[in-house]
Amino acid sequence: MFKRLLTLTLLIVLVSGVALFAVEDRLVIAVPWAGAELEAFLPVLQAFTDETGIEVTPITLRFEDLAVFLPAQFAAGITVADVIFMWSWFIEEKARAGHVLAITEVIDPADLLVGALDPVTIDNQLYGIAYTGKVKPGFWYRLSFFEKHGLTVPGTWEEFVALLEEIAQIPGIVAPIASGNGVGWPLSDIAEHFLIAFGGPELFKALVAGEIAWTDPTVEAIFADKLVPLLKAGHFGEPTEWTMAKELWWGGDYGLYFMGSWITGMVEDPENLGLFTLPGTEGMVFAIDYAFIPIYTERPAAAKKLISFLATRGQVIQVGKGGHLATYINVPLEAYPPVDARVAELLVGMVVLPDLDDTIGGAFQLAFWDQLKLLWVAPEMLPEVLGILEELAP
Amino acid sequence: MKQKLSRSLFLIPALALLSIFVVYPVVNTLYLSFLSPEGKFVFLSNYADLLTRREIINPRGFARGFAFGALPHNLLWTLIHLPLTVFFGLLLAVILRHVKGGVIIKSVIFLGMVTPMIIGGVLLRFIFDGRAGIVPVVLSIFNVAPRTLTAHPDTALIALILGSVWIWAGFSMVLYSAGLETIPKELYEAAQIDGATPRHIFFKITIPMLKPITTVVVTMTLLWNLRIFDIVYAATMGGPGGATNVLALQMFFYAFRRLEFNSAAVVATILMLLAMVAATPMIRSAWRESR
Amino acid sequence: MNRKTAATLLIHIIAWAIALIWIVPFLGVFMAAIRPMVEIIRGWWHVDPFTPTWRNFIGAWNHATAPLAEGMLNSFRVAIPATIVPILVAAIAAYGFSRFRFPLKNYLFITIVILMTIPQQMVVIPIFRIMKDIGLLDTHFGLILVHTAWGIPWILFFMRNFFTTLPIAVEEAARIDGASDFTIFFQIVLPMSIPALISAVVLQFMWVWNDFFLALILIFSPDKLLATQRIPLLRGLFHVDWGVLAGGTILVMLVPIIIFVLLQRYYIKGMIGWTSK
Repeated sequence: MFKRLLTLTLLIVLVSGVALFAVEDRLVIAVPWAGAELEAFLPVLQAFTDETGIEVTPITLRFEDLAVFLPAQFAAGITVADVIFMWSWFIEEKARAGHVLAITEVIDPADLLVGALDPVTIDNQLYGIAYTGKVKPGFWYRLSFFEKHGLTVPGTWEEFVALLEEIAQIPGIVAPIASGNGVGWPLSDIAEHFLIAFGGPELFKALVAGEIAWTDPTVEAIFADKLVPLLKAGHFGEPTEWTMAKELWWGGDYGLYFMGSWITGMVEDPENLGLFTLPGTEGMVFAIDYAFIPIYTERPAAAKKLISFLATRGQVIQVGKGGHLATYINVPLEAYPPVDARVAELLVGMVVLPDLDDTIGGAFQLAFWDQLKLLWVAPEMLPEVLGILEELAP
Repeated sequence: MKQKLSRSLFLIPALALLSIFVVYPVVNTLYLSFLSPEGKFVFLSNYADLLTRREIINPRGFARGFAFGALPHNLLWTLIHLPLTVFFGLLLAVILRHVKGGVIIKSVIFLGMVTPMIIGGVLLRFIFDGRAGIVPVVLSIFNVAPRTLTAHPDTALIALILGSVWIWAGFSMVLYSAGLETIPKELYEAAQIDGATPRHIFFKITIPMLKPITTVVVTMTLLWNLRIFDIVYAATMGGPGGATNVLALQMFFYAFRRLEFNSAAVVATILMLLAMVAATPMIRSAWRESR
Repeated sequence: MNRKTAATLLIHIIAWAIALIWIVPFLGVFMAAIRPMVEIIRGWWHVDPFTPTWRNFIGAWNHATAPLAEGMLNSFRVAIPATIVPILVAAIAAYGFSRFRFPLKNYLFITIVILMTIPQQMVVIPIFRIMKDIGLLDTHFGLILVHTAWGIPWILFFMRNFFTTLPIAVEEAARIDGASDFTIFFQIVLPMSIPALISAVVLQFMWVWNDFFLALILIFSPDKLLATQRIPLLRGLFHVDWGVLAGGTILVMLVPIIIFVLLQRYYIKGMIGWTSK
């Protein structure tokens, strides 16, 4: 009996020892990418492992899902991963609640784009890093479609409206513009583009900061005079699951599709893609992916090494895989593939702006998405929609 | 004495588990609903605050159309769903007795009850889709322009309610079928000899004899209507613009998204009070029977 | 006579039409599951082209973010103990309620009946805190405990109703022979209760398997998520593939449907016996 007990004890010690040893230098990182996008991220992690000997396992977790269970995990004092990609507002909120590890000493803000780290900086303490980002530039169209029907890129608002009316007449067209719908963000991207185009970058920044009301006449006019008439005229299609909307747009149900720069990697023939912004647009949303370390990690030193790698040298590898734009200022232009050079070109002369709802977050973000879904199908509800947004805005 | 001890062992495990994981939490939630977020005892002021919030009751909605708020949505759900399921269940139970293959039809109708409710929500989202769903296509035969019914505030809630009839009708059908079996044949035979018409027999014999079953069906359906969560979670998340929000979902948002535990406790307590009112006949009959 | 035939025919048509309406949503999801997404994007009823494929099932089974293989395994690991334990605990207590006299018995019993009506929303916040305090948050064991406690009231009610229908003479004869209460319960009463126990097993298993709300609140690590929790996650971040979602729903609902088809008699008896007497 005693012998058995001893063996068992030894076994337990051995197993737990092995387990401890094994996890010593293995980090887990939660990323929002799956499939091809995850494939493109793996070389970054490999380079980190080659450099430091620390193994990193990526797991795919969507922001919406993290928003549901991370608060519960933090309340319980545990964490799903050592490094987590998440919305900046969430990082800020959790940092204020004491759940986020400060990483001020491992990052030099001068390495990154000016302002990129602002959303995750509190009282000169840094709680997260800006990784790469993606732009949400404007309306995409098929060059072949425009050619076939003799359509041209609009230079003014009137031309834009005329273009929509022209597209609406084409047989087989369900609506001129496809409305992508996910948890809500594709519609929010369109609304943001209208706000930037007709209110200017300063108004947009003021909205993000909560310095101007959603019910302010200038804001209301943008919706009431520009977006709502298009919705009422049926120029936007019914909100459709956005990957499905992409298929339908590419298949000819719609003429235009507003989407982020990642669309180039999603269509069969990127060479057939054309793009224009609303005439007169001076700014563009550059949505940065942020990452942080929860204080509940058991390997803070290794996690800090990883996060400082991601903030700098890791980005050089990432942008080479396409679809990403760096926030690390020392990434040479040659690191980008030619497709992204076109996207980068668009940014020239534009004011770079943060994603509105990703920055504000919280109850506002949920309401913003839900209310836009409402506005899209019931544009006459605009006053109510803006009233609710103002109530929840910062 | 020894017998007493051994007999109490029959009850202790069950009562202990119930006390820790059901009774204590109920009391605790009730208490939480009386506290301010800072932990001060404010009694009913949370309730007063909650009942004026737009997501619970939205007076403007009554004038302008959806959303009405979670509480009216639950009531509307009950108002439409309860009569329909009771009617469908009884109708099916009666006619399927005389139909060839009735057993198969019953199993098919009961599938909705067996399916996880979260999947029920996915199925509803799917059948109401403007392109890939069957309902808008069928409606287009009647000149209704096809659209995603769950994406529009004026149709979203109604669509989900009618869809939930599809999920739940099997329950009342099965109970009524069992109830019909218990009615003695002699009653029918005697009535027929007396020259009663089938309609007369149905309303004077079948319906009164099924009264206990009806109590159960109505009670369980009411309780189910109050608990609606999974369906909405999967199909619409309460949208668009809160048009399909219900109390159970709002409680979840308060507690686990916004971390407003006191507001969540208030919503939960309201739900429990409504459930108790709904279950009074059942509790009363259990009480009579246990004495 | 002729009128009667016409009426019979009409009833048959109505009945089968209702059956058709009821099966259509399942048919739709099945068609979406066995075909590539491009074929169903304009409606699954377009059957040209029709390319049956396993891809959607495999896609859901090995999904990148929420593999159902792992989820179904987790669901079994929770549902099996969360079925057996409450039935054992509640059946023992139900026997006590049906045979023994003790103070406040009626009040205790009616309390348990009332507990049956309480919505889960009323208990989850304190349960979340209790689980956090005893370190069982985000563990399958914690969820099993909660399901156990949650299942006790209805199983107790159901088994007590059943025990009161059993003839008491056998038990009394055994007691005269000197058998203890436990011996009588385990060796005489339980074997006689097997049909009722099967009904309880079928119902409780399905409720635990189909549960979403309790799991949503108590389990949140990706590798521990149950099958029902993975359904909303199957939509994916960058690919909303209705086919994979449909394949996943078929896989998850297959388990309760198979049980229902095999044990339909017990399921329905349980449903009736639990809600009425």
